[in-house]
Amino acid sequence: MPSLLELQLQLRGAVLGGATRGLVGEIERDGLSAEARLRIYRNHFVATLTAALESTFPVVCRLVDGRFFAYAAHEYLRQHPPQSRCLAEYGAGLADFLSGFEPCKDLPYLADVARFEWALNTAATVRETSPLEIEALAAIPPERAALLKIALQPSVSYFASGWPIDAIWLANQQKEVRPVDLASGGTTVEMRRAEEGFSWQRLAPGIFAFRRALAEGLALGTAAATAAADPAFDLAAALDRLFAERLVVGLGAC
Amino acid sequence: MAETAALDRLVELRRDYPVSVHGVALSLGSAEQLDRVHLGRLMALIERVEPMLVSEHLAWSAIGGNYLNDLLPLPYTEESLDVFCQHVGEAQETLGRRLLIENPSSYLRFRHSTIPETEFLTETARRTGCGILCDVNNIYISANNFRFDPVAYLDSLPADVIGEIHLAGHHAAEDADILIDDHGSRVAPPVWELYTAALKRFGPVPTLIEWDTNLPALDVLLDEARHAQELANIHRYAQLA
Repeated sequence: MPSLLELQLQLRGAVLGGATRGLVGEIERDGLSAEARLRIYRNHFVATLTAALESTFPVVCRLVDGRFFAYAAHEYLRQHPPQSRCLAEYGAGLADFLSGFEPCKDLPYLADVARFEWALNTAATVRETSPLEIEALAAIPPERAALLKIALQPSVSYFASGWPIDAIWLANQQKEVRPVDLASGGTTVEMRRAEEGFSWQRLAPGIFAFRRALAEGLALGTAAATAAADPAFDLAAALDRLFAERLVVGLGAC
Repeated sequence: MAETAALDRLVELRRDYPVSVHGVALSLGSAEQLDRVHLGRLMALIERVEPMLVSEHLAWSAIGGNYLNDLLPLPYTEESLDVFCQHVGEAQETLGRRLLIENPSSYLRFRHSTIPETEFLTETARRTGCGILCDVNNIYISANNFRFDPVAYLDSLPADVIGEIHLAGHHAAEDADILIDDHGSRVAPPVWELYTAALKRFGPVPTLIEWDTNLPALDVLLDEARHAQELANIHRYAQLA
């Protein structure tokens, strides 16, 4: 008689698609083979986790069609079964998996679409806090301004890709998908929590570099310097907009 | 905790309706330590929602660092009874409240099981002080899959600790004489009959229609809830008469 731990490790193996030989002798036949009984649990594991991935990555699923997605998901969950018990946290590694998945090599942008959807999904789970008004800046002595750290909303993240991922995502929200010109270039996007989930906006390169640097914890002077490559970047206007968009939640010294 | 819009909706609903929190991932039957991170998250949710009832399953779903997203069957042995009761006790202590433990639907039985399922549940309730959530659909499914009498199963549960009843739909497997729990259709007529038998035995305890796949129009779900309420009302009138 196996111990409970031995039995559970064997059943885990069967659910993940491994050998069932050691386990079969432990199961009552009751008019149906042990293998067929184990298959019910195995199928449930595959079907429910594939459905969870489909709901987190609807655009990836649409781009490759449901059947191919189910195949890719099957390979993914066999190699990377869930570790967390929170299903909404399953799929963090799908983008990396797809970037190395041979059958997807003709869709070089697919992994970035997955990365985009994962980031939107994550933004929707983080609550925003009360923003500061721009008047808060008045309390900062001018000589300290360059070293000022500006804390942004906790839900905010910055996404960059060499492909027009936002255009691909938008096109796939419609019933009829319009063609997207893949040669139209990359994108730089800001994502954050919104009332009913998430929102995102495309940012000009300077604003994007500035905000991303702030989000990474760099001081105001350094963040402004990273944006300087964009001739359209204007620091005063960028600060105005940062506060106007309710993004600033804290000011601190280095 | 994931601060999603869905959580906001739940907290709003909580203002007008009592809520029953039904866990599926504590994995109380695992032959390893309880997942304290998950237990902590469950506790945070309970503090936020202040539910009327909290329940989990006679099952396991995680082992060796993998979460298998299913309510997997336990062998009913003295060893698993000890493990299960210890985990129920630990969870109740951490959460500071009584749990209800639900009877599972199952598709396989282990040869070395020595304790009948109802006895396993009864003994768990006796040792830990937990209550029992009687899933009538699960009884019907397992009774079909293992050819036992579902009413005899009901009769061997201790009536005084039944704190909630579940009803749901199921479907027949394509290639075998097996019923599969899917929470994806109307409650089947024989399950309604068994519900009537459960009301007779346990009285009108809070009842939930579980429907979480293949979601219907709201009217259909409300109709199912209405039917459950009607049967409970009929039971009450019968008691008065």
